[in-house]
Amino acid sequence: MIERSPLFNAISYAMMVIGFLIVVTPFWVVLVAASQSLSEIARVPMSLWPSAHLWENIEAAWNRADLGPKLLNSLIVALGVTFGKITIAALSAFSIVFFNYRARMVCFWMIFVTLMLPLEVRIVPTYSIAANALSPFQTLLDTLGLTGLISALTGVEVSLNWNLLNSYTGLILPLVATATGTFLYRQFFMTVPDELVEASKMDGSGPMRFFFDVLIPLSRTNMLALATIMFVSSWNQYLWPLLVTTDRENYGTVVMQLKALIPAQNGTPDWNVTMAGALIIMLPPLVIVALAQRWFVRGLISRDK
Amino acid sequence: MTFTRLLAAALAASVSALTASPAFAASTKFEFWYGLSGDLGERVQEMCKRFNDSQNEYEIVCVGHDTYEATLQNTIAAFRANKQPAIAQIYDGGTLDLMLSGAYVPARELMEKNGHQIDWSNYFSGIASYYSTSQGELLSFPFNSSTAMIYYNTDALKKVGFEGLPETWEEVEQVARAMKGAGYDCPIAFDPTGVWQWFEQFSAIHNQPIATKGNGYEGLDAEVVFNKTKFVDQLTWLKKLHDEGLLVHKSKATGETSNAAFVNAKCQIVSSSIADHGTFAKQAVEGMNWEVAMLPIWAGTERKNSLVGGASLWTLKGKSDEEYKGAAAFYNFIAQPDQVEWWSTVTGYIPVTNTGFQAMKAKGFYDKAPYKGRELAIESLTYTPPTEYTRGIRLGNFTAIRKEMGDTIQQVLFQNVPVQEALDGAAERSNAVLRRFEKTYQGAQLN
Amino acid sequence: MERRAYYRNRLLPWLLIAPQLILIFVFFYWPASQALYWAFTLEQAWGGGNVWVGFDNFRQVFGDARYWNTVMRSGLYALAATGISMTLALVLALFVDRSLRGTKIFQDVYIWPYAIAAPAAGVAFRFIFSPEAGLVGTLNGMWPGIWNPATNGAHALLMVIVCHAWLGIGYNFIFFLAALQMIPRSMFEAGAMDGAGPARRMIDLQLPLIAPTTFFLLIMNIISSFTDSFGLIDVMTEGGPVGSTEVMVYKIYFDGFRGLDYSGAAAQSIVLMLLVMALTFVQFKWIERRIHYA
Repeated sequence: MIERSPLFNAISYAMMVIGFLIVVTPFWVVLVAASQSLSEIARVPMSLWPSAHLWENIEAAWNRADLGPKLLNSLIVALGVTFGKITIAALSAFSIVFFNYRARMVCFWMIFVTLMLPLEVRIVPTYSIAANALSPFQTLLDTLGLTGLISALTGVEVSLNWNLLNSYTGLILPLVATATGTFLYRQFFMTVPDELVEASKMDGSGPMRFFFDVLIPLSRTNMLALATIMFVSSWNQYLWPLLVTTDRENYGTVVMQLKALIPAQNGTPDWNVTMAGALIIMLPPLVIVALAQRWFVRGLISRDK
Repeated sequence: MTFTRLLAAALAASVSALTASPAFAASTKFEFWYGLSGDLGERVQEMCKRFNDSQNEYEIVCVGHDTYEATLQNTIAAFRANKQPAIAQIYDGGTLDLMLSGAYVPARELMEKNGHQIDWSNYFSGIASYYSTSQGELLSFPFNSSTAMIYYNTDALKKVGFEGLPETWEEVEQVARAMKGAGYDCPIAFDPTGVWQWFEQFSAIHNQPIATKGNGYEGLDAEVVFNKTKFVDQLTWLKKLHDEGLLVHKSKATGETSNAAFVNAKCQIVSSSIADHGTFAKQAVEGMNWEVAMLPIWAGTERKNSLVGGASLWTLKGKSDEEYKGAAAFYNFIAQPDQVEWWSTVTGYIPVTNTGFQAMKAKGFYDKAPYKGRELAIESLTYTPPTEYTRGIRLGNFTAIRKEMGDTIQQVLFQNVPVQEALDGAAERSNAVLRRFEKTYQGAQLN
Repeated sequence: MERRAYYRNRLLPWLLIAPQLILIFVFFYWPASQALYWAFTLEQAWGGGNVWVGFDNFRQVFGDARYWNTVMRSGLYALAATGISMTLALVLALFVDRSLRGTKIFQDVYIWPYAIAAPAAGVAFRFIFSPEAGLVGTLNGMWPGIWNPATNGAHALLMVIVCHAWLGIGYNFIFFLAALQMIPRSMFEAGAMDGAGPARRMIDLQLPLIAPTTFFLLIMNIISSFTDSFGLIDVMTEGGPVGSTEVMVYKIYFDGFRGLDYSGAAAQSIVLMLLVMALTFVQFKWIERRIHYA
């Protein structure tokens, strides 16, 4: 700090401690509640000190919401989305920033506009797409009269059908389709100096060479930041998995199970089990964020340049 | 490049669909989606297993969707995507939606085509009329049928010195007040989303219309009239009891359902389906005594039959002949006397046919605990022949109207909106729903 | 910010961008066009057909007092949640930015809420605010009936807003901190030499300098309150009691998927889409301008 100001420092610490309490209290409540027995948690007011029943509550939640396979599903989906998005976004941003073609800005805007329309607002029609991801192409072929043409020429009836309901592909692909990643990469690629491109050209390497040898290594931090964002956001998806998986047993994700954990039916509400379940579900993205924090923050800072 | 990959995937998918065609399978599989959960959901699974064990030509795959609403929504979504099950369990409120959908195979057609003899007149008329055309042709199979009842904690009744069980709402109010005086915090548990028992069934047994055109049976242009019937007084009365603390809000939102509050002996009176009779017997706390009775009426009113609740089984279009054979075999299986008896024993659902009921009665099933009292549901359902307003409710998108009514009850009870004003608003919005439905299906005939 | 060094290639850029374009076409433009079509028809729930009704659906939506209530509520929700969350995050970032000893721990923890799924936080807050459990519910022990989100709409809305604001702290904090740390130290020293104390500097120097970030966050928060609120509300209140926590997204889902009114929901979707697009457009214009003049 520039100067000494003990009073203001004290205020700073006080404010930071208050902020700390605001942020941490819900986590603490979840942990404490998850460790108490049914009779302890039913007490009013409840104790804010952990008790000894954490393990049995976790076990109960694990069984009630069938968390084992659901965690695996969540992991598959989160990794699939993260990986898919990093790859596709890097390629498309590369195309937009480093190539000179007329439709470049049109493409960029087409991608950018999708940022504005989150899945939530176009949920019903997106669902029917998931039922047959090829239906747009079928309709196009039909309206262009190509179906008739093809069947006349080859005798083959074209009927495109690719159902995504109740599949990992269906859980992953629509989430990969969003444009956040492309936008992030674009912002970063714009900051790459022209000289690097010139130098690479001078070496006689082609665009893909430049992409793999120069751009990718340069954008490692951004990639990590993006990966963190993508992992967290896809792990935390709620509405889409809810709709696209009618077969919850096999394709359900953990976040969908939260509702099943809320006590409603019979007996004293066992919030302790609910909280144990919430704890398990919160943990993986929290660990990722805690670990990736350094790159994460740095990646965002450079984005904002 | 991705496009070709998509194409390849599509080809692979259709090829695998060919090779997996049922002709090569050992037994025909077909799906059944149901909306029951918890204890009742487990009983459905058990029933599916019994069917699969009973023969080896067909295999039924039963998929639970937690609630009736979710089952209807998911079935529609699946139907639009051509991924529908062969059989779907659709609740009473969705009946008209199904009838106009053009998405089903009528029950009679299915059974005749597959060579099963069904005595259609054997169904209780009150049940059949809910799921039939106006000519009396049954379109879906009554499956889990119930009606609304009232349950009393007899320990509490004894404590306040009431002999027998209350039969009128006047008596209910009297014992509730006495219970309050005797130190019970919660005389009556009330779930405002229980529109079915508190509003629909009330209207039926007091012979009050819910909508014009015979509750919608005679045309899509029906209009709701619940803001002009005895229900206005009933809601006023409920509000009074709530304000006096005789009627206590218990629902999912408060963390404890009304049924849970009853079996935990926290609340002394609850109105719920006869289907819960079995569950109550299982879950009531040690030493608690309780009994079931027909819904009370207001003194001086002539009681009419109550409405059948629960759900029926609809066979959906677009499946193979083999699957329909399986579905027909399944319907036939669950109509067998021993299956009927088993199902009505493990749940509280009533047998849906005269012969089924008579057979169980003759065996003495209803004479002793824990099944004693369930015959009252049949008595309530068959109390009089169905009238114009007690044969059922046939309104489009009735789910939305139910929600409207649930909201209205909450507005009155919790937000002190005047009863008449709240009901008028609900009627206006419900009629908007009905007009929209009518327009969507313009030209469609109610048959 | 025009790039001078380009690659030229006929096919390659298209191949690179094709996967992204195909995905957004299938999962974005196609469904959006379908929603547009439904918004002008009455679509039968079972897909049996539809009738063209022109602007009827929009007329119905705009003529419905309930819808306007929902819009107003969404606005209130957006402002309250955004206001609470950003103010908190900004204050925390300002103090963390002073880099006093030990602030690193605080900094790490403040980011945590970002990692939490909205429905998971919803479950936790529902318990914290539950009228019968032993936290906020303790108040009911002292003054019976003082707190009941199950029947009191204002309580329920407050509960959801607080949870939403809490969830946003992490995200807002990161961006504020990043913006603060990019302010050159020299400016600070100049300020200090002019005799401005730390509190003065915060208000006169730092706040104006991070205004672009503040604006960016403002828009992002408002958009997120429109869209991300779904999971929260579904887990905490399901829109109740009596629709008092029903915001625009929840109503779309409820009317369309549960109420089986696909056309009404589609019309509402279009309205929300336009709203979100307008907001994003304003924000994007702002960002681009910053890049130009920076």
